[in-house]
Amino acid sequence: MVVRLRGCAADERARISDQRVSATSICALPTPIPVEFASSLQQSDPVIHIANLTRRFGAKTALNSVSVSMPRGAVYGLVGANGAGKTTLIKHVMGLLKAEGGSVRVFGLDPVADPVGVLSRIGYLSEENDLPGWMTVNDLIRYSRAFYPRWDDTYAEELRNAFALDSAAKIKNLSKGQKARAGLLVALAYRPELLVLDEPSSGLDPIVRRDILGAVIRTIADEGRTVLFSSHLLDEVEEVADHVTMLRHGTIVLSAPLADIKAAHSGLSLDEIFISTARA
Amino acid sequence: MRSARALAREFVGARVVLLALAVYMVAFYVIRGLIVGPGHPIRLAPPNGLAAVLVVPMTFAGFYFIGIFTFGLSGDLAARESIYPRRLFTLPLTNAALAGWPMLYGCAAMSSLWFVAAAVARIVGADVAVPWIWPMLFCAATIAWMQALTWMPYGVRGLRVVLAVIALAAIDMVVFAAVNLHVANATFVALLAPQLPIAYLVARYGVARARRGEVPDWSWLFRQGRERSGERTRSADVSRTFTSAFQAQCWFEWQSHGRTLPALVALVVPVELLLLFIPGNDTAPIVFEVVFIALLSPPFLAVFAAPHMAASSASPYMARRPLASMDLVAAKLKMTVWSTLAAWALVIIFICGALLLSGRMAVVVERLRTGSEVTGTLRMIAVVVVLLVALVASTWKHLVQSMCVGLSGRDWLIKGSVLAGLIALLALWPFIDEVLRNMKVQGVVWNALPWILAAMVLMKMIAGGCVAIILYDSRLLNDRALVAGAAAWLFAVVAMYGVLVWFADSPAIPRYLLGAVAILNVPLARVSAAPLAFEWSRHR
Repeated sequence: MVVRLRGCAADERARISDQRVSATSICALPTPIPVEFASSLQQSDPVIHIANLTRRFGAKTALNSVSVSMPRGAVYGLVGANGAGKTTLIKHVMGLLKAEGGSVRVFGLDPVADPVGVLSRIGYLSEENDLPGWMTVNDLIRYSRAFYPRWDDTYAEELRNAFALDSAAKIKNLSKGQKARAGLLVALAYRPELLVLDEPSSGLDPIVRRDILGAVIRTIADEGRTVLFSSHLLDEVEEVADHVTMLRHGTIVLSAPLADIKAAHSGLSLDEIFISTARA
Repeated sequence: MRSARALAREFVGARVVLLALAVYMVAFYVIRGLIVGPGHPIRLAPPNGLAAVLVVPMTFAGFYFIGIFTFGLSGDLAARESIYPRRLFTLPLTNAALAGWPMLYGCAAMSSLWFVAAAVARIVGADVAVPWIWPMLFCAATIAWMQALTWMPYGVRGLRVVLAVIALAAIDMVVFAAVNLHVANATFVALLAPQLPIAYLVARYGVARARRGEVPDWSWLFRQGRERSGERTRSADVSRTFTSAFQAQCWFEWQSHGRTLPALVALVVPVELLLLFIPGNDTAPIVFEVVFIALLSPPFLAVFAAPHMAASSASPYMARRPLASMDLVAAKLKMTVWSTLAAWALVIIFICGALLLSGRMAVVVERLRTGSEVTGTLRMIAVVVVLLVALVASTWKHLVQSMCVGLSGRDWLIKGSVLAGLIALLALWPFIDEVLRNMKVQGVVWNALPWILAAMVLMKMIAGGCVAIILYDSRLLNDRALVAGAAAWLFAVVAMYGVLVWFADSPAIPRYLLGAVAILNVPLARVSAAPLAFEWSRHR
């Protein structure tokens, strides 16, 4: 897998560029401890399979016959303007919205019919950080680990130290960036098979954004894990995504491996491709 | 005046309510004149059914106005920070305008409310001459002080609520004392009018501090104790883990909502029990009346605590927990049981403490001894135990019976159910009043009682059956769990029926009546619908 890391120092980039990325390669985050990865899926099965998904909110069609298949081990970038349907698509993947038309399968399961089977294998972080404000960071870790049998205490503690989170601090007293880091900690500490990031970097400083990118890389560093990453910051998507899907008015206008997209657009950046596609 | 218009937009809801009330009053006047007729007078002291139709919407509107004009409907009342919306601080307005205009609107709305009520009472011919000026001032002073106290930042969390309750109680006590002493209207005005400018100055000071971001920190008051307990907690936290996801969820529910009812009880019941310490309140009827009020408080307060317990559970955070909907709801139900027991433990401690400290325990013991001589000691103990169990069960029932509405996460359903409840109350009150007053109507109702009860039982069983079928079809519950639930419900009904038969074994009370009361009182359909409501909210 080729991962681009424009944000890192030159020597670091040189070390890790064009090779399978390890978590130590970025941002001085702790080394991931390899764990046994037990997946019920076959290597060839898609982690997410969406077929003809349609969703309306009143008169507005948020998603119009969207079909996507995301293979295991890929970093999938989801881009599009505000209101394009990115969050609606992700909510269907999480089972928070019920498909009005078409079908959604995650790990081969229906996320609405089997929320426990799906949610216990997904790590999720969104821009709207809705962690309970009354909890301390320690409470959050204690509470979250009860839900995930594969929770790794050592890894969680390493992340907490790397993110400089005070375990006694209340979530409501944390800054926006610290809240994002706390959310990231509980999304990563059980080494989810699928990491879903819904506009995680919006409004955050470059240091926290770097941590989030680091999380993406750490996740795929473990064999066979998958990332679904929606973002407005196209340079970030460009740095880590293998495959990009572009949504416009609830319809997929572009979906292909990033390398193919760039080849087809004669070396334009994703920003430029996005603008030209949006104007088309 | 631009500032006045800008801030007036914040209170559009109040204008809608005032308009709706005006329409309601006109409708009331027309219906009373054309349909009910002059044979049904409005009695205000004590209020009859017709007066209730007038008083209930007024009371609700008054509480709504306090909520909307203090910005209490959209803020965290217990927070240390001012509840005044921060977005308004960026408007190009002075602190005087920010405090003054909402206060003026609030005072005007509350006074108008009284003006409308008094006018309608006069037009339709109430039995009591309703005064105009001082109650309008009283309404204005009440809302002005509520605004001043809610907009002020505090150094301790929760202090705002305590001060607001004390202020409301103080204003009420002064006014009711003045009413009982038949104080002249001019004295009322002299008492109440100066409170408006004082409240305004306090509000302006609070808004100014909040605008500057000043929040006092009085945590040093508790620091020493907190540091000590913090050390203990940290050392305990290292080893404390949850044995299961369900246990973690129960902890979450307790921490989020479990303490609401005990906190309300701790706030209200001691104030009620203070009546025992008033010299002269040492006769058995007064002592038992005070204790009875304290005992009725938890079920009453549970009605107010219930919406808070259900509302936030429909959040996306909860929906993303990798736990079955049934388990998430079960954790909530378990929390309600603990919350009920904690509240009742407090009530019993408070009552025993107040009786001992006030020296009124002897009165209670003497009356219980007399009672046991008449009925027998065993029966007396059983009566007390059954009464307590009934009150505890009633408290829990009030906590859970509307849970399915809150768990649906649909704002329209939550507001609609409140409105429907209000309308049902308004519709039923005159009917109940008529039944209580009119012997002829009582006879008709008594004769029709078997049919009425049969219809209610049938409706409940159909609703319960429908919910069970949907639960099974949606695979939220398997057949074994459904059978276990039905058996538990049946056991509770039979137990209640047995207790009722034991207590009310009289030829005057037919057994079917006791059976129907037992069936109708044990929660079934609405509690069973809670997982369905949560599932509906979880996968929209």
